[in-house]
Amino acid sequence: MSLLEFDEVDKYFGETHVLKDVDLDVEEGEVCVVIGPSGSGKSTLLRCANRLEEIQGGEIRLEGQSISAEDADINRLRQRIGMVFQSFNLFPHKTARENVTLAPTKVKGLKEGDATRRADELLDRVGLGAQSDSYPNQLSGGQQQRVAIARALAMDPHVMLFDEVTSALDPELVGEVLDVMHDLADEGMTMLVVTHEMGFAREVGDRIVLMADGRVVEDSPPEVFFENPKTDRGKQFLSKLL
Amino acid sequence: MAESYSEGRTGDGEYQEQFLNDKTLRRLGAAIAGLFTLGVGGFIAAIIFTQVDFELLVEIIHPQFVNAFLRVLGIVLVGSLFSVTAGVFVGLGRVSNTRFTNTVATAYVEFFRGTPLLFQLLVIYVGIPAFWPPGQFPISNWAIPTAIIGLTLNHAAYVGEAVRGGIDAVPEGQMEAARSLGMSYVQGMREVVLPQAWRNALAAIGNDQVILVKDTSLLTVIAIPELISAFRNVNSTTFDPWTPILLVAIAYLMITIPLGKIVSYLEARSDWGGDRR
Repeated sequence: MSLLEFDEVDKYFGETHVLKDVDLDVEEGEVCVVIGPSGSGKSTLLRCANRLEEIQGGEIRLEGQSISAEDADINRLRQRIGMVFQSFNLFPHKTARENVTLAPTKVKGLKEGDATRRADELLDRVGLGAQSDSYPNQLSGGQQQRVAIARALAMDPHVMLFDEVTSALDPELVGEVLDVMHDLADEGMTMLVVTHEMGFAREVGDRIVLMADGRVVEDSPPEVFFENPKTDRGKQFLSKLL
Repeated sequence: MAESYSEGRTGDGEYQEQFLNDKTLRRLGAAIAGLFTLGVGGFIAAIIFTQVDFELLVEIIHPQFVNAFLRVLGIVLVGSLFSVTAGVFVGLGRVSNTRFTNTVATAYVEFFRGTPLLFQLLVIYVGIPAFWPPGQFPISNWAIPTAIIGLTLNHAAYVGEAVRGGIDAVPEGQMEAARSLGMSYVQGMREVVLPQAWRNALAAIGNDQVILVKDTSLLTVIAIPELISAFRNVNSTTFDPWTPILLVAIAYLMITIPLGKIVSYLEARSDWGGDRR
């Protein structure tokens, strides 16, 4: 049993068929990087993984439990799935520390003191120990995104989903976010990462999944994908990168 | 048409003195504001020194005007509390994805915003007791409950629309972030969306509550001795218009001006690190 399993997943937006029969298993401790042209369904795949989008066919399972079933206890399942968004989505009315403590106290019932201690620990880990009392609009994009990562980690997720988390950042701020993700991967976090950062994909990814037109068209280790892709779509995609 | 952009410009690219340049405009504005202040100030001074009867003023201020003022203030405080609270729920109903809830909330807003408050007051004041046999209606002073119910129902519709707008202005990603952390819809609304929606809606809610204060003047038709009836009382016995008018104006402003300050204070308090929007 894999940690996160997509089993013949079909997803429609109205008439548009955005995910076509997608099969994908993410193993524990694996960093699975999803790449592909825009509109290929990468982000949708990620959003289906914690049911921000409903699927119309197939099944998605986390540690054997269905996420997509009608009667799934989604609030409980989501606690095990951390998500980081392209647009950060920090809570602007809360300080960095409060952003991190909110869900642990409200959802897990953690005591304020324990949650705060844990939040400070996590903010330290992402290099923002000194900014814990700042509000999101007092932080740079890179700092906000690192707070968002700390916020997701505070729920002790079993898998982390990263949805183009550096796409909204100024180029000079991308590195600090990727560094945090790199550290997380080194610590053995299971990660499903949608990104356009090929350097990161190559260096940190255990697997490269190429999507096109709502299908997984190639699934290879990075050294294979970037040196000698197995499929024509893979070759085509790489040729457009340079 | 292209020439119109270069009007006031000589061939050398130098600017000609225009009829209305920035400096002239600023002076003109200040002059108009000055004249206005002088006019209004003079008018008020003229009223106070030539029209207001200070002996009468002292005589009517207590207990009549003080009582009317306190009565209005009490109705405003209760009506505000109720209408804002109810309005939040109307707003939540308006953004509900459940069609039934949404339809009911929309119909509510359409009715209470679409008919005059005066009409609504009459429905409650005259209509409700008619369900009982004549003289059997159990509530003896029905006017005050009518006022509270009417103002609450009416203004909850307006507050509800302000809250709906406030919620709509919160980016969808906020609820998504809350849900992705395992929070329920209710938790996401309460902890994440509503505090931001409240901030967005504050100005509009404050605006509506000022109108609620002034709407108490309609209560004169259901025989509540409020400020307008106090005016009519004095005016009909003494034939002095300006003395009671002055008191009425002061009384309303004593409620509406602090109300504005409270709204500004609440806005400043939810600044969240400043520089917002």
